[in-house]
Order: sequence, then C-alpha cells, then structure tokens
Amino acid sequence: MSQSLKQPNRLREGGRIDRSHTLHFTFNGKRYLGHAGDTLASALLANGVDIVNRSFKYSRPRGIVAAGPEEPNALVQLGSTEAAQVPNVRATQQALFDGLTAQSTNGWPNVQRDVMSLVGKLGGRFMPPGFYYKTFMAPASLWMTYEKYIRKGAGLGRSPMVPDPDVYDHLNQHCDVLVVGAGPAGLAAALTAARSGARVILCDEQEEMGGSLLDSRELLDNQPADQWVAQVLEELARLDNVTLLARTTANGYHDHHFVTLHERRTEHLGETAPVVDDYRPSRSRMHHVRAGQVLLATGAHERPLVYANNDVPGNLLAGAVSTYIRRYGVVPGNRLVLSTSNDHAYRAALDWFDAGREVVAIADARRAPDGDLVAQARERGIRIIEGAAVLEAKGSTRVSGVRVATIDAAAFKVTGQAETLACDTIASSGGYSPVIHLASHTGARPSWNDEILGFVPGLVKGVHAAGSARGIHDLAAGLADGVAMAARALETLGMTSRAIELPQIDTRREGAACGLYQVPHEKPTLRAPKQFVDPQNDVTAAGVELATREGFESIEHIKRYTAMGFGTDQGKLGNINGMAIAARCLNKSIPEVGTTVFRPNYTPVTFGAIVGRHCRERFDPERYTALHQWHVENGAEFEDVGQWKRPWYFPTIVNGKKETMHEAVARECRAVREKVGILDASTLGKIDIQGPDAREFLGRIYTNKWEKLAVGRARYGLMCKDDGMVTDDGVTTCLADNHFLMTTTTGGAAAILEWLELWHQTEWPELNVTFTSVTDHWATMTITGPEARKLLAEISDIDLDRERFKFMDWRAGKVAGVPARVFRISFTGELTYEINVQANYAMHVWKTLFTHGETYGLTPYGTETMHVLRAEKGFIIVGQDTDGSVTPEDLGMQWCVGYDKPYSWVGKRALSRSDTRRDGRKQLVGLRPKDPAVVLEEGAQIVLDPDHPVPVPMVGHVTSSYYSPTLDSGFALAVVKGGHQRMGETVYLPMADGKTHAAEIVSPIFVDPKGERQHV
Amino acid sequence: MSDPVATTAFDTRPDTSVPTESPLAWSYHETGCPGVSQKSRVVLRERAMLGHLILRGGAIALDEALREVLGLALPARPGGLNHDSEGVRSIQWLSPDEWLVIVPGGEAFALEQRLRNALGGAHYAIVDVSGGQTLIELEGEAARELLMKSTPYDVHPANFPVGKGVTTVFAKATAIVRRPTEDRWELVVRRSFADYCYRWLLDAGEEYGVGVEA
Repeated sequence: MSQSLKQPNRLREGGRIDRSHTLHFTFNGKRYLGHAGDTLASALLANGVDIVNRSFKYSRPRGIVAAGPEEPNALVQLGSTEAAQVPNVRATQQALFDGLTAQSTNGWPNVQRDVMSLVGKLGGRFMPPGFYYKTFMAPASLWMTYEKYIRKGAGLGRSPMVPDPDVYDHLNQHCDVLVVGAGPAGLAAALTAARSGARVILCDEQEEMGGSLLDSRELLDNQPADQWVAQVLEELARLDNVTLLARTTANGYHDHHFVTLHERRTEHLGETAPVVDDYRPSRSRMHHVRAGQVLLATGAHERPLVYANNDVPGNLLAGAVSTYIRRYGVVPGNRLVLSTSNDHAYRAALDWFDAGREVVAIADARRAPDGDLVAQARERGIRIIEGAAVLEAKGSTRVSGVRVATIDAAAFKVTGQAETLACDTIASSGGYSPVIHLASHTGARPSWNDEILGFVPGLVKGVHAAGSARGIHDLAAGLADGVAMAARALETLGMTSRAIELPQIDTRREGAACGLYQVPHEKPTLRAPKQFVDPQNDVTAAGVELATREGFESIEHIKRYTAMGFGTDQGKLGNINGMAIAARCLNKSIPEVGTTVFRPNYTPVTFGAIVGRHCRERFDPERYTALHQWHVENGAEFEDVGQWKRPWYFPTIVNGKKETMHEAVARECRAVREKVGILDASTLGKIDIQGPDAREFLGRIYTNKWEKLAVGRARYGLMCKDDGMVTDDGVTTCLADNHFLMTTTTGGAAAILEWLELWHQTEWPELNVTFTSVTDHWATMTITGPEARKLLAEISDIDLDRERFKFMDWRAGKVAGVPARVFRISFTGELTYEINVQANYAMHVWKTLFTHGETYGLTPYGTETMHVLRAEKGFIIVGQDTDGSVTPEDLGMQWCVGYDKPYSWVGKRALSRSDTRRDGRKQLVGLRPKDPAVVLEEGAQIVLDPDHPVPVPMVGHVTSSYYSPTLDSGFALAVVKGGHQRMGETVYLPMADGKTHAAEIVSPIFVDPKGERQHV
Repeated sequence: MSDPVATTAFDTRPDTSVPTESPLAWSYHETGCPGVSQKSRVVLRERAMLGHLILRGGAIALDEALREVLGLALPARPGGLNHDSEGVRSIQWLSPDEWLVIVPGGEAFALEQRLRNALGGAHYAIVDVSGGQTLIELEGEAARELLMKSTPYDVHPANFPVGKGVTTVFAKATAIVRRPTEDRWELVVRRSFADYCYRWLLDAGEEYGVGVEA
C-alpha cells in the first residue's frame, strides 16, 4: 500500500477546511491525506486523483465533475469491512473522516486497467441505445448467461453480505412551514417564518448550511457572505419553534405535504456510528414530516455543455470549480479553459486566476459579453474568445487540451477555424436549471421559462418555491424572494408574517445568457467523438439523436430507450440538455418536447433508513394471549395466525427424544377423544353487542334466525357478504335480552367489527345497538373430552348437571374462585366447556385446571390438533374450506339459512341468483383415500377420470387434509362439483410426482355423525 | 327503550385473593425492566389493574349520569380528557358516541351499576374492558420525543395540550395517547399488543436512558 502525503492541488490558505486537522483515508487501496471539512471528492481532487470511476456502459475513465448531488461519476463503494459496505455514495456528498475507505463502484479489475474499456473503445460506435438487447437477443435462453457477465463488467456497487451493525430510526415531525434548502432564499424564508412564530423545520443536504453563500464572492453588509449565514443560523438555533436539520436531504414529496427527510447523523464521523456511553446512536434517521406549507429553496444545478469527449477527467462544471477553490481550498488543475454561455460562470475563471493558476482562455458563446464579471476577467488580462465554445476535449485519462472555435448556436454550426489550446482542465457552463425534483414528485408539471432558459417548478396548493429554485438567480432578489414566499406561506396558514431586515448587497450588472446545450462539431453528431449528455448512464447526444431517428418522439420514450436520467441520477445533470437535443432533432422547442417525470428518491436512501426500527422482532406486532408465558415454558411450538402467536402443538420428550409434530398431534387428539384436552382459545374475536335492537341486527347480519334465542343459550351463526358468499362464522350467545356476545374467527375479528359498524352506520342507523371489541378482555380456555365435566366440577360452583346445563347453554359462576362465563359449545365434537374469565386472572385459572387435571389426563393441545378434531367432525374453517366463492348451501349448511325471516338479511338476494342456485357448483364433501396411509395434499386438484387425455377436466380441490388417529387413516375435506350428489363415487388426485391417489367421496362428518358425544 | 335488567353487568373480579397478571407480566419476565438512573430522561410506569369502562350512547344522558355518579363532566369536544380533582378518575372522548372511563381497580363494577341506575331508560351501553388493556405512564424530558418516534400524531404542545387524548397509530399497533398533566403522558394499549408496545418503547427509549419504575 503506497502512501501519498502531498496534496498537490491544495491551496495554502482559504476555504472552510481545518488545515490543522489532518485526516487519513484510503481510495482504491491507496492512502491519502485530507482535512476536516473536506468531502471525499475535494480530498481526492486535492491529491490530484483524476480517475475516480469507469463509466457504466463504455467503461471510459471518469473524473469528478460536480461538487454536489448532481455528480454523475464519483460514485463510490464505502466501507473497510464487509459489514460496513455502502454502495453508490457520491464522493461529493461524503464528508471525509479519519480512516474512510472507499472504492470505485465500477471498474473490473480496477479503474486504471479496465477490461470492459476495450469493449467501449472497440464497440463504442457500435453500442447504440438498446445495444445489449439488440446484440444479445438470441438465443433468448442465453440472455441470463450474458447478463451475468455484462453486469459484472458494468456493475453499480454491491450490498453487504453480512448484517449491518448500525441502527436506523424514524421520527415523526410536524410543522407549519418546512423549508427545504438553507441557501440564501431558504435562510431568509426560515428566518421570516421563525420570527413570525411559526413552527419551522429547515433542512439542508450539505454538511454545512448556507448553500451558495459558502462559496460566494459577494459581500453582505460589507462582510463575507458566510458571516451572514452564521448570524442567521445562530438566531435560528436559539428559537424553540425552529428545528434545524443539516446533512438532511428531502428525498420524497408525497401527498398532503408529507415529506421524507433523510438525516445522515453519523456518516461524517465514521463508517459505523461511534458508540457513546455504551449506546450506539442511529446512523441515519428518516424524518416523516407532515407540513402545513412547504417552501422549496432547493437552488439550481448548473448545466454542463455537451461537447466532444466532455467526459474525460478534467472536465468540470464551472460552479464546481469555484466551490472547490473557495470552500475547500483546492484547485483541481493548473491550466483552465472555461466554456460558458453566461456571466455567472466567469466566477470559475476569476477564482482560478486569484488562486494563482493559469486561465488559458474563456470561450464565451455570446458575441459581446459585457457584464461586471466579464469586465473583471478583462481587468485580469484573461483572454476571452467571443462567440466561441469548446468543441472537443483532448486527452484520455486527463484533459490535455481543447479545440475551440466560433460557433453559430442557433444554426447549430461551427463557423470558424478550430484553435487548439493546451490545458488540463475545462470548466463549462450552459446555464442553471432550477432543482424542480421535489415539486415534480407531487405530480405538478414544470413549465419552461425563456428568460432563465430553464424549467421552473409547477406548484400544487400549499407548495412554494423561492430563489434559484424558481429561476431567481440574483442574490439580492433571491433573498427578497425567500422573505416574500415565506410571507405567502404564512398568510395561507392564517398567520401574520413579520418582516426581516435583509443585508445590503452591491448590485452587479449581469449580461444576458444565451441558450447553448449541445455544442456543434465539425462532424455530424453521429460521427463526432462522443458528446455525453448523461455520463452516469453513458447517454450521448448521438444516442438521443438516434432515438429520434428510430421514431421515438415522446421524451418519456426517449428517456426509456436511452436510459437518460435513470436510476440514482434522476436527471440532475443531463436531462435539460437531452431534451434540448431531442428538441433540435425533432424540430421542436424545448417546452414542446417537455420534461420527464422525476420520482422519489432525490438521492439514494439506504434501506436501513427506510425500515427504521421496524425490523427483526419489531417487524410486525406479535400478539400474545394472557397464557403465553405458560405456553412458552411448556415447550409449545407456535403458529402465526394473523399477528397472533398461537400454540401449534406441545411436543413432549418421549424416551429422551422430542416428539415430532405428527407424534404430538396424534397424542393430543387421542387425549381429547379419550380423556380431556385444553386449548387456549383467547384469540377468537369477541364482540359485545348491546341494545334493544341487538337481536334484530343479528337477524339481518347472520343468515340464520335469532329472534327465539333465549337468555342463557348460544347459537352457531353464519355470515355472508352481500354477494351471498360465506365470510365468517362463530357462536353468538344471548347474555340478556338486549345483550349478546358474538365470537368471530381469530383472523376475522377486526374486519367483522368494521363490517357490523358499516352496516349499522350506513344502512340501519335506526337500530339501537352498539358493538365493542372485548377480544382482549376475556381469556378463553376450552376444556374438551369425556372427562371435561369431572375436571370442571372440581373447581367450579356451577351446576354442571347434563340436564340443567345442556349443550349450547352458558352459565355464570366461579371457576378456581374467579367469576367466569362458561359456554357449552364444541369445536371438537366432544363434551366441551369454554371457560371465559377476565384476562388478568386467566393464568391462575389455567394453572388451577392443571393442578386438578392430572387425574384426568388433562393435555394441552394446539391449533394443529384443533384442526384435525374439527375436520373429523366436518366443521369448516372460514378461509380454509371456503375461499369467498362458497355459499352456505355449497357447504351443505342450508339448515343455517333462514329464507323466511321477516326482514331481509345480508346475502339473501345474492343467494337467489341463478348462479348460486345452479347445479354443478363446487360443494363441500369428505374424501377418504383408498390407501389409509395416504394424507392427501391440501390444494390437490380432483379429477373424475385419471386416464382422460390432457387437459384433464378438474372438478375440485382438497381444502383440509390430515391424518386421523381416531380413524387411523388419512382423511380430507374437499370441494367437488356437484359433490353432494356424488357420495360413494371414486375420484382421483394426480400429484406432481406422477402418482395418482384414489379417494372415495363421503360425508364430511367422519366421527360421531349423530353428534352424540357433545351432548353427554 | 332498553330495560337495564335486560343487560347483564358481570363483576369479573374475584371476591377472594387470587393471583393476577397484568398484560405486561410476560414482558417484565422476558424483556425485563431497565432501571431508572440519573441518566434516565424518560421513565415508564405501568398503572396496572385499573378499571376500564367503555361508555356508548347519547352525550346528554351520559353527561348527566356521570356528573351525578362520578362528579365528572363528559368531554364533549373530540379528543377531550377530563380528570377528577384527585387525578385518579378520568373520562375521555373516543368517538362521537363513545367514551373511555378509567377508575381505580375495584371501582369499575360499582360504577357500572350506579351508572346503569342513573341512566334508566336511555339507550346506552357500558362495557367492561378492564382485562383488555393497560395504562402506561411516560414521564421525563424526552417523553415527547419518544412519542415522536412512535406515533405520526402531532404531540407538540401547540397541538396536544393537557387534557387531550387520541386513539392513533403507535408503531405498527394502535394505542390511546393522553396528556393528563404538563409533564406526564399516558398510553392505553391493548393487552395482546402490550408486549410489542413495551418492547418498542424500550428500544426507542434506549437513546434517552429509559427506565421502568415498578
């Protein structure tokens, strides 16, 4: 590992870096030095690192172009360890810290010596848009193979292969005014809103707030601009009603002024968050901001000019050159040529000159530039070539010269003889594009402004843009605009704004800019050396022109064909140039061509920040019953039922070996059929229904009758949706004449409560009835089996006499000293008591049952045994044996439908439709495999004739299937076309492995068909 | 009109001493209780075994009955939360015809009986949900920020003054968030979600040295 201790491009003084604080970092295996306050990009430039990457498609060497989020090339992979890997970080946005380790994202085996560049060089001209798809199209089956190698060659970073040691979190924020961007307009707006007493959030994506003022040449109140920034920030920091978020990017603008801000909290400190006081703070935080009004002070991005070989390292944006010199004390070269269409870019030449390096020439596309900055350049004796532009850069791994000539931009022609100048850096500026991305996220279309030669944001209600973000680039005007737009936002909120005093700024005369996007070349675009529009996606002017020639006219299609502005770039650097080129080729104006839609996220957001703390054991709520601890301590395996954790089965240790599920379930089933089992049924939905019209309501919402259900009795009920299809079932109990307790399926509890409320509130508001969820209030313990009565009698004062407490009765009394409601209902077919107690006492009751249960062989069982036992009885589970296309009659449950009820009920009309009445509907039946050892697969398709030529008509499928220890055989429930008329017929189930099972259609009730056991 | 005898009030509390478990019993056992220290900028405290009643019905009838029985006015404003002078009994607006009454454990059944008597023939419903939810208090300078991590509802004092309570999203569950005093917040969480909420609170509160007071 070699070490370079010199920073050849670092200035002795100036900038906002701390030269006394030296930092070490490693890039592509080589060690370098930088300073506190550097970004990785400024430190690389200080060290004279030209090539930072290889391009995506052509593998061309690439250098740093910009100083902000619009940087297309300097995408790096961060991390010295596997766990710390972060892909696709822009070096221009990564603060330098001691020990930072970065690698180029592209380039294999490395950026200096790249295999794919050969493809780029040789194939360059032959790699038009769609190249990979056109070339590797046949045979289609091999595309997967090609793709693997092409991707390896191209690549765009990689994700870590081991868990991330960092944590990420979310914070919900609310404010009256969210100001995005802390440049001049944003600061003025935030100060106005803050002094007016509004709740303000000001966020800025950079390491420091201040935006363009941090590298400005202007004086505010005769002081350097950054002093005004410091004053304003100091005041804002003191105010309680202001939240300042630096290093925070507004990434997505969603509906109702919901904006996601991604705050990078420790990424400037180290590759993982440093531990402080044994606590590791979140590495980044997503702020979910719900704002009253949003003010976008997002500034503008400078557009590069599109000329030949404009991607060779050493081609930079003019503004970036100024930023590196003035903010970071770095001059990224020795001899500069500036190519510009406007005055503002002259700053680059002036800063370069003032830093003591040579400005070879300024090629100004305008005929007679005459602004103040132009005059300052002339005063310094800098050569200005008027009406000219850089046509072509020379050099391969670094700029070695330029060809400059006079041009006619309007006619897209080179008019003069090209002159070759030696230089190592080209700064270019084709104007400034307001950053309209966030406004575009809202769906509002931007509009073209001829005066500023750029798109300005379309704004929906409640969104305001200020300063450069809406094309007001002049500093004094931008500050005033920040104040004015803040006032407008406050007014909308009904608040009074308080004016602020703005600093004095000397007015400067600025000449008009001219429209220049692609610079003409002597050769036609398709023949000229590559002129890059979107370097990140390797889209060239020729590519855009070819797309138009191939018939793509819509800018959205051109974008997709060429990949312009795709991915992490989101059209920051090249989109306007691309549209201008398309407009030229299509003979349209830029506004006629229009713009593409920008989408969230503005810059990449790490997945961790999106997920926040909703990960691992907090990914989804786990709902527990009051008896959960007992289940855990008694070795239950759990099954997820909705969000509930329900015991699935309780394996015991037999001869030193843990039972399999099959063994445990067989044992649990036998215990219930022969002795007594216990199930935690607390998860069943329970709805308390009160009111004089409760009974009437039940009659309308259930298919069956309720008017005669007596106090003390319970009844099974079936619910249909209005389409006549079964949607839920359960037992409802009459607690008192006006008071019922409805039970629902575990998964259906919340939806059924809403369903009841929906019908009550929208259709039958005249009914006096209320619904309240009591699912969590009651714990339900089901003891079932021949010994259940004896067990319960030991600890209850309830009269359990079979004549006085019958099947489908309920009684109140004490169980283990706790007031309980006990229901004699059965989901197993055995003698069953469902004991309901207030959940806080449940554990005591459960444990007391076990204290007394040993004599009777009390066995805990879980959902699997519950399923087997209920299926043996032909009891359906809604959602397993039904799928939203099954009527009560299809289930053979016409006994549960009251067609003659006086008032209509939900589903009744649908059940008289011809389709629900026709023959041949799929009907619920039992299946008995001919080979009792076979347990049919749930979901298996049923056919009548296994020898039928393909395609075989399918007549149904298996809905539930288990092994029954009671029958010592597999058995199943199934739906079969016309099944009720097919009793005794043999059907066939062809399986994926080629076997075909035969089964007999039987009644779905396999055990105790007369239902005698539950009545004992 | 409903006949009060036609609904059963059911006293779920045993008259003998029986072991009880709050909805957080498992959480204390499994996750534990980080201690309160000097560094704790937020402290959690469960107020277990309180009486929770849901009242449904017309505001005027319920208001009269409550004033008579509990000496408390029914909050008519959405989000309203009223406490008695001792600060131990409260009534909170939940929805246009729904209120939550929280009283010390053991008072709920008697209160329900007295309310039923006072309400006479009015159409109403009273539902005991004491076993179905528990109350968690949050105190300390970081309590509000902890809530900001947990709920999208705006808990800024400008929007959430003392005497307000809302039912809202809490992490990926639902909870009632209340502000009975200047410095104290309350969460009412459902029993089955209590462990999730508790784990969420401890995780989110780690940054503030969260402690749990037994």
